[in-house]
Amino acid sequence: MHILPRLDLARPSRRHWLGYLLLAPAVILIAFLIVYPLFISLEISFQNVGIVRLDLPHKPFTLSNYTRLFASPDFWNAAWVTLKLVVIVTAACFVIGLGTALLVNQRFRGRSVARVLIALPWAVPEVIAVVIFSWMFDSSFGLVNWLAIQFHLSSGMIAWLSSPAGAFFVICVVMIWKGYPFVSIMALAGLQAIPDDYYNAARVDGASAWQRLLNITLPSLMPVLGVSLVLSMLWVFRDFSIIYTMTGGGPLHATQTLSLMTYEQAFSFFKMGYASAIGIVTLIICIIASRLMMGRAPDNL
Amino acid sequence: MKLRKLALAGMTALALAGVAATSAFADTTLKFVSWQKDEPGYRDWWASVISAFEKQHPGVKIEWTKVERGAYSDTMTTLFAGGTPPDIVHLASFEYQKFADNGWLEDLGPYIEKSKLNLQGWAGQETCNWKGQTDCIMMLYTGFVFGYNEDLLNKAGAKVPTNYQEFLDAARKTTRDVNGDGIPDQFGTGHETKGGGGQYLTEMMNYTLDAGAQFTDQNGKVTIDTPQMVEGLTRWKTIVKDGLTPRDLTSADTRQLFADGRIAMKLDGPQLYPIVQKGKARDQIKFGKDPFTPPMGGSSNVLAIAAEIPDDHKQLVWDFIQIATSDPFQSSFAAMTTSPAPDPRADIAEARKKVADFDTIVEAARSASAAHVDRLPKGLEIQFNEFATMMMNEAKRMIINDLDPKDVAKTMQAKAEAIQNQ
Repeated sequence: MHILPRLDLARPSRRHWLGYLLLAPAVILIAFLIVYPLFISLEISFQNVGIVRLDLPHKPFTLSNYTRLFASPDFWNAAWVTLKLVVIVTAACFVIGLGTALLVNQRFRGRSVARVLIALPWAVPEVIAVVIFSWMFDSSFGLVNWLAIQFHLSSGMIAWLSSPAGAFFVICVVMIWKGYPFVSIMALAGLQAIPDDYYNAARVDGASAWQRLLNITLPSLMPVLGVSLVLSMLWVFRDFSIIYTMTGGGPLHATQTLSLMTYEQAFSFFKMGYASAIGIVTLIICIIASRLMMGRAPDNL
Repeated sequence: MKLRKLALAGMTALALAGVAATSAFADTTLKFVSWQKDEPGYRDWWASVISAFEKQHPGVKIEWTKVERGAYSDTMTTLFAGGTPPDIVHLASFEYQKFADNGWLEDLGPYIEKSKLNLQGWAGQETCNWKGQTDCIMMLYTGFVFGYNEDLLNKAGAKVPTNYQEFLDAARKTTRDVNGDGIPDQFGTGHETKGGGGQYLTEMMNYTLDAGAQFTDQNGKVTIDTPQMVEGLTRWKTIVKDGLTPRDLTSADTRQLFADGRIAMKLDGPQLYPIVQKGKARDQIKFGKDPFTPPMGGSSNVLAIAAEIPDDHKQLVWDFIQIATSDPFQSSFAAMTTSPAPDPRADIAEARKKVADFDTIVEAARSASAAHVDRLPKGLEIQFNEFATMMMNEAKRMIINDLDPKDVAKTMQAKAEAIQNQ
């Protein structure tokens, strides 16, 4: 009864208590939804278990999942595929996203329509995008093959999804198509926040368009681009639905990322201990990558 | 007024007493999860079983939920692992072993004995025996039928094949670029090559079985590195690499292409029949005996009881299974799903009236069953997904890298043994 009045949260020295109190429900919820499963995954990763039941006695502690993982060519292949995807897709999303943002930031007729069209892929659900692209790149009846033959770019049908290189290329195309609008929207928002005075002053000083881009636009956009870069990278890193629906990680593991490998081991092969080990290693890689990105531009983020 | 109130109260009391007397299970709900809730034919049959059950058990409701086949195994595993399994357990016959092996399924032996359920000659029922215990009842065992487009075969000058060589010849003749745009748009046959390992293995087995190959022997020993398997792999490689089947399509896509006259010959389960009936080429398509011996076939799906549910729920689920496996409902199963009922006593007269080729469908199931054909190899049941994925990857590697089937069979043998012994 008397506890709350005694706390006197209005006192300046105790004002931060109110902050903690207000944050507490969210923190507890996050701890329950994220930290607890994470802890369980970590625990399972050190046990040789198939299907997990929390009410069953613990299996003996073992490092076998990790030793097997680091000795597995499939794991290193998945790590390599993930790295390639992250670099290629993020870089392409950045170039296209920034380019389209600069384009639709100009004044021209139909600018509103162009802005909507650029943002459109972002609004399309991933699975629908995959279905559309699957038909376009279909090896037997696809539009892309038809165009390639009509324009004499290929003498025969290209087995896009049946060849490792073709499947990887198609996955990159879909992910770039799906991912660049995010960068574009973020960059456009950043561009509109740059005062016109900067550009006017630069013009008076005789700066060319290229110099204005390098010395005004890009530095001003850095905070926005930094956040976009980290978020895009994490999206590519953990994306599951596009690859799973389109290729299932194949052919010959050419598109199998760490996320897909985790899923396959857990829910196709029911090796929960091994899958947890992959998940934990993936998480560590993600944390290190994010930390490196954040650490490189602390003032901008 | 008083009289009316009294009468109303009396009627209410009687009604309540009646409900209490007729149902000891008032407000009981049985959970039933299935992927067949939206499948034409199967959906209607399951609905009829549920309706009959609920009529027999006033106060008991069945909560029927659909889970997509693609996410089914994950969902069921999560439900069981979380301690909240469905009461009525519906599983694919190639995945139930994982659940049985974890002790999650009730031993049906005592129930079968007590209710005197006659499983003599029940197609595919031996698959439900796991480690000396009956864990499920087989709900469907099918054999592949052979559908062919008579018009396309005639135009190409090919006869209806009766063996692999004739099949290959007909497939080559009917694979064509019809509109002359440089792209083949008509195919000799159609196989799914896009899906998971299980389906890929099924498609490939049409050829390996006909070549006399088996993945394991009766003792569960891996028998892949054999001349028969090399021949089977060579056939599969020829069909896919020579473009006699469209690539990267799902089962649904290939069935639709066949139904629309873009594929000349199709080896498939009885589910092909209703799709053909709605296709553009339905008048040209005929069904006949599979040119391959034995025909591909196998167990499909099973019903079981979750071991963790209360005893009164277990009895109710068994009542449900008894209705589903009764002769009248097995007869209606054949008629409504156009699939052969596993019950040998099912009356298929109605199904025959509905489906002109029903005898062909039944005969295919019998031939496959007599040859003990199943895509689930003995001794690799628990590791089936891993085995099937490995086989698919090695077969794809053979096609993509143009490898010698002899070497591929050796690799498959070694990898299958490693999977079995882990």
